[in-house]
Amino acid sequence: MVTESINILDKGAESIIIQGELLGKKVIVKYRIKKPYRHPKFDEMFRKTRTKTEAKVLSELCMNNVNVPTPLIVDLKNSVIVMEYINGEKLSDLIDHIDMENLKTIAYKLGYQIGIMHSLNIYHGDLTLANVLINNGKVYIIDFGLAGYSRDVEEYAMDIHLMKKSLLALAPDKMDVFMEKFIKGYSESYQGNVHVVLQRVEEIRLRGRYVEERLKKKILREKYAE
Amino acid sequence: MHIGDPKNTEDNIYVLGIESTSHTFGIGIVEYNSRKKSLKIIANEYDRYVPAKGGIHPREAALHHTRVAPQVLKKALEKAGTKITDINAIAVSLGPGLGPCLRVGASLARFLASYYKIRLVPVNHAVAHIEIGKYLFNFKDPLIIYVSGGNTLIAIQKKKKYRVLGETLDIPLGNLFDTFTREIGLSPPYVVNGKHQIDICAEWGKEFIPLPYTIKGSDLSFSGLLTAALIQAKKHINNKVELGNICLSLRETAFNMLVEVAERSLVLTRKKEVLLVGGVASNKYLREKLVIMTKMHEAKYAGTPPEYAGDNGAMIALTGFLGYVHGVYIEPEKAFIRQRWRLDEVELPWLPNQ
Repeated sequence: MVTESINILDKGAESIIIQGELLGKKVIVKYRIKKPYRHPKFDEMFRKTRTKTEAKVLSELCMNNVNVPTPLIVDLKNSVIVMEYINGEKLSDLIDHIDMENLKTIAYKLGYQIGIMHSLNIYHGDLTLANVLINNGKVYIIDFGLAGYSRDVEEYAMDIHLMKKSLLALAPDKMDVFMEKFIKGYSESYQGNVHVVLQRVEEIRLRGRYVEERLKKKILREKYAE
Repeated sequence: MHIGDPKNTEDNIYVLGIESTSHTFGIGIVEYNSRKKSLKIIANEYDRYVPAKGGIHPREAALHHTRVAPQVLKKALEKAGTKITDINAIAVSLGPGLGPCLRVGASLARFLASYYKIRLVPVNHAVAHIEIGKYLFNFKDPLIIYVSGGNTLIAIQKKKKYRVLGETLDIPLGNLFDTFTREIGLSPPYVVNGKHQIDICAEWGKEFIPLPYTIKGSDLSFSGLLTAALIQAKKHINNKVELGNICLSLRETAFNMLVEVAERSLVLTRKKEVLLVGGVASNKYLREKLVIMTKMHEAKYAGTPPEYAGDNGAMIALTGFLGYVHGVYIEPEKAFIRQRWRLDEVELPWLPNQ
């Protein structure tokens, strides 16, 4: 059974991660907490659906050899998932003091994993540096609360876009190298057309607010300015 | 744009800021006391364009600005007790915003700068919103939540720029509320006695009804929510309670989305301060949610008060001052407006290089 002593490993934005033991093996218990700032009815609906998708996606990814924690017990009523314990460090914590060669390998492996995931028509929905764990050079993807199933390229492109944005915010100088390797890994495992996805990534960026490249007049104006 | 050494001076520094990105024409003046090394806002005058019907018409708004500009300028100078010749730098908000409106402010700034031979400092409107919040609460490195009629984003400062962690993929939060209340016939006016129509309408409702909740990582999407809420509202347009329920649920859903994204970013960055800026910062329901959320993560919270939350000239002057002392300026003939000028494009010499 899960041990009684509570050892809180991490407090995420929407859940508490507790370390426990199940049949002699280390496990983590992910408990989606109630949020007092939300309407109670909304809160309940919310936690339930997210727990459900996460459990479903995790088990499917596990069966297809993507590095994610194996889900062991799901309790929808209390919004709890018990899953395999992974002893790793968040890439967001590592990125500032990791050497370039190591980072390149990580980026490649991550891209490869994401490629498999997208080939299964699964998107992550919150692919950031904080949701990537590194353990002995092995790359794990965690936190599938916003994940889902879709055949729409938009969702796959969104994952890549989010990874880019996360890099831009936390390690802007390493983004280009990271993304190059990431795409390389991705291209090798993704079964659809990679160019379609990458084109959509660019489209998503241009769609953002106040992106100047969208303004055609700019070209004219710059001509006047010279 | 030039970045060089500012003039070393023992005298007080006065910077005049001009704001005209959207519905507000505003002029603010700040005074820097060189002996006390203190910065003070000494004037903040503005005049808001209120559309008679519909939303902001860019040309009408620009006409309004040209009409009120001389008066606002005069009032600001009087309030500050300064003459135009005392001013060390003119700061102008060159974007992002509505073209015709921006041109009014830019023209005035170019004129003042070239006629009186004063330095012209370009200011990004979004940066100004953040800087005034940081100044008012003495925050050094906050997680920034910027919500207004034209922007909805979460940002942090990193390596001399504000970096956007998450933002709206389509319409901003303020725009969502404005459009919704306009389409169901409640607005304009959008704000009555400091209260937005959405809050007035929400008071009629009691029950929460589910509406689309769209988050992509740290990015938000409000357009589906708007459409769904409008479809519901048009079915119950004559039922006050039902309409209230929709307003309540729309506000609840939109704010929950924003607070969730903010919370994610807060956990990710482990910042100790959270700063809410922009026009929607005056909304007390959003404030309440953020207070609860930040308490859970033991972070300090502050939101700009209504006086400085909406567009104003003081924030432009303040940011202009920072630019001036760090030697950021521009030739008047090159001071073009930029309707699209993303927050994360601007390099800011006063931010730390970490």
